[in-house]
Amino acid sequence: MTYMAIPNIGNYTIALATAVESLGIKAWASTATTPEALKLGIEAAPESVCLPLKAHLGHFIEADRAGVEYAFMINSVGTCRLRYYRHMIDQILKDLGLKIKIFGLGFDGFKPPIVRHFDPGPVTFIKPLFHAVLKIKVIDELEVAAWRTRPIEITPGNTTRVMNKLLVELSESKTMAQTRSLRKKVAGSFADIPVDKEKQPLKVGLVGEISFLRDKCLNKNIEYILGSQGIELKNFFLLGEELENITRIIFLNQSRRKSLSRIANRYLQNSVGGHALDSVANSILCADEGYDGMIHLCPSGCMPEVSVRPILKRVSKDKDIPILEMSYDEHTGGVGIATRLEAFADVLMERRKNGAAAFRKEKARRG
Amino acid sequence: MDTDHNFLKCIASAWPWKSASPDHRSLRIGIPRMFFYYIYPGLWETFFSELGMEPVVSMPSTIRTVEKASQISETEHCLPNKLFDAHLAELVGKVDIVFVPRVLSTLKNHLSCPKFGPLPDAARADIARETKVLSIEIDESRRPLSESLMLLGKQLKSQKSQIRSAISSALRAMESAKNQRVRFRRKKGGLRFLLIGHPYVIHDNFIAGPILQKLKKMGCEVELISFAEDAPAKSYILWSTANLIYHTMKTLSPEEYDGVIQLTVFNCGCDSMMIDTYRGLMKGKNIPFMYLMVDEHLAQSGMDTRVEAFVDSLGWRP
Repeated sequence: MTYMAIPNIGNYTIALATAVESLGIKAWASTATTPEALKLGIEAAPESVCLPLKAHLGHFIEADRAGVEYAFMINSVGTCRLRYYRHMIDQILKDLGLKIKIFGLGFDGFKPPIVRHFDPGPVTFIKPLFHAVLKIKVIDELEVAAWRTRPIEITPGNTTRVMNKLLVELSESKTMAQTRSLRKKVAGSFADIPVDKEKQPLKVGLVGEISFLRDKCLNKNIEYILGSQGIELKNFFLLGEELENITRIIFLNQSRRKSLSRIANRYLQNSVGGHALDSVANSILCADEGYDGMIHLCPSGCMPEVSVRPILKRVSKDKDIPILEMSYDEHTGGVGIATRLEAFADVLMERRKNGAAAFRKEKARRG
Repeated sequence: MDTDHNFLKCIASAWPWKSASPDHRSLRIGIPRMFFYYIYPGLWETFFSELGMEPVVSMPSTIRTVEKASQISETEHCLPNKLFDAHLAELVGKVDIVFVPRVLSTLKNHLSCPKFGPLPDAARADIARETKVLSIEIDESRRPLSESLMLLGKQLKSQKSQIRSAISSALRAMESAKNQRVRFRRKKGGLRFLLIGHPYVIHDNFIAGPILQKLKKMGCEVELISFAEDAPAKSYILWSTANLIYHTMKTLSPEEYDGVIQLTVFNCGCDSMMIDTYRGLMKGKNIPFMYLMVDEHLAQSGMDTRVEAFVDSLGWRP
């Protein structure tokens, strides 16, 4: 059996693995970059490149050691360093003398080289793709349900256990019918978790660079830490939504970015690159929707995300919403992150109490 | 006497073909000495003074600028961006209006560093909040520089003919400034180096100054890479500066230069991706290559040691 290594984008890797089966081969992947892979990447990559490149590179080196022959990497058309990832990873792997072959996948024609190389039949090709899209939708639902349930669960860890069980089932699901029946089960399984319905959790939005929003190893499992602090999350990268957005661009020429740039226009009149515009626009949106705070994640020195930080600070002051800026490098430890998040959660809780107190006082004064 | 003066002024402003923009006559416009000042050398001062404004360029960066930058700027910016913030802060309060263009592309079919995208917005949000910020989008992939300048002139409500003459003299000034190569006199037996890097890095006083001085003291001749050439051939690199350097390095020969020094700054995204490519190219051509990274804590002695070691090691080459 031929194997292909695929980049890690959190739980969505499960769906991508199904998509790879459309080429008649098997996927070699994990839902989070392993610390060993990260170490390999850090050793091999130039010192000052951003962390996602090191994670990807390490993952592919690990794959090569495991005997995987092929890998694919998404071709970016953006303005930031991501655009050069494939070329650079290719070059470094060649210099290391590794044999793994990397295909680019992206906006390069109707029949990209990866399809031409494996040349699967049309039926074997299309069916797994539809299955993968279905799986992506299921994972979207799982993620959203987990954000909602985790802060109010009575026994800590219940949500994570249910979610992991469903994810395992999903990755083992071979047919569309199985996945569909699993999808029906999702809402029920989360509803069975005993929760404290009285509790009103804090609401926090997560914005920033996508691999940090998704990869549990890179972001030190921030979703779990926040959830167990009693914070309800909204992570602004859902692959299903992103796919919908892409389809809308192709068929209807309506990009979500257009509406986002209209929202952010007062603060930012350029779509910088990466997800910088999304970060600014979503922060404004969340402030208007009454979120308690925002967390902005990016790798240390990320070109687009760091350059909009002064703007985020202004948004935070104008809209009175706290924005925690987190940047990660290879020396970031999980405990440090947890401490910062706990402190942030305390601040938000105190703010809410004070705000509520002031509101109550105002109400009492008016009689 | 005073009334007479006012009367004359009234006539002058009512006269249709005279003095296009009396309200901009004494307007002081601040130009930070970073990024676009070095990318388009000599252009902005000429353009604004031709339009009857008074351009005020911030002082060359020194250690004081860096100290100021570390206090006011975003901690994770690259060094030039920090210095830019300090230059901007120096101008705020001294001038009526500051000029921060949005430089998206400086060559056809190329891109600039993505950090230039939100530059005017970041200035408006943070440091230049109390001052008016004049901005123009420069995207030479979509429209030539002269058209962008025309739009800028229209924003300032100048007359068309005046803008046109200002553009032509500004472009001429830029050409002559670009063609002026910085060279040191060659001494007998002196080595010859090419210094590569972003224009705003290799021309900056704080970043490149100490290294150039040291090389000069050691009797070496240094040539700064020229950005006067036309658009280079397309390659996988889309950043204009990086692609220009890449193509210049492809044409180098060991007879021409004894070594190539790349000057880079801490947290520069473009350079972090390109260093290996440059190094590989130079290795293939058998030209010695060194890269020096400058950060906020630049110590003259440390740089001196590295430069001395590099120059000495060249002497031992067979």
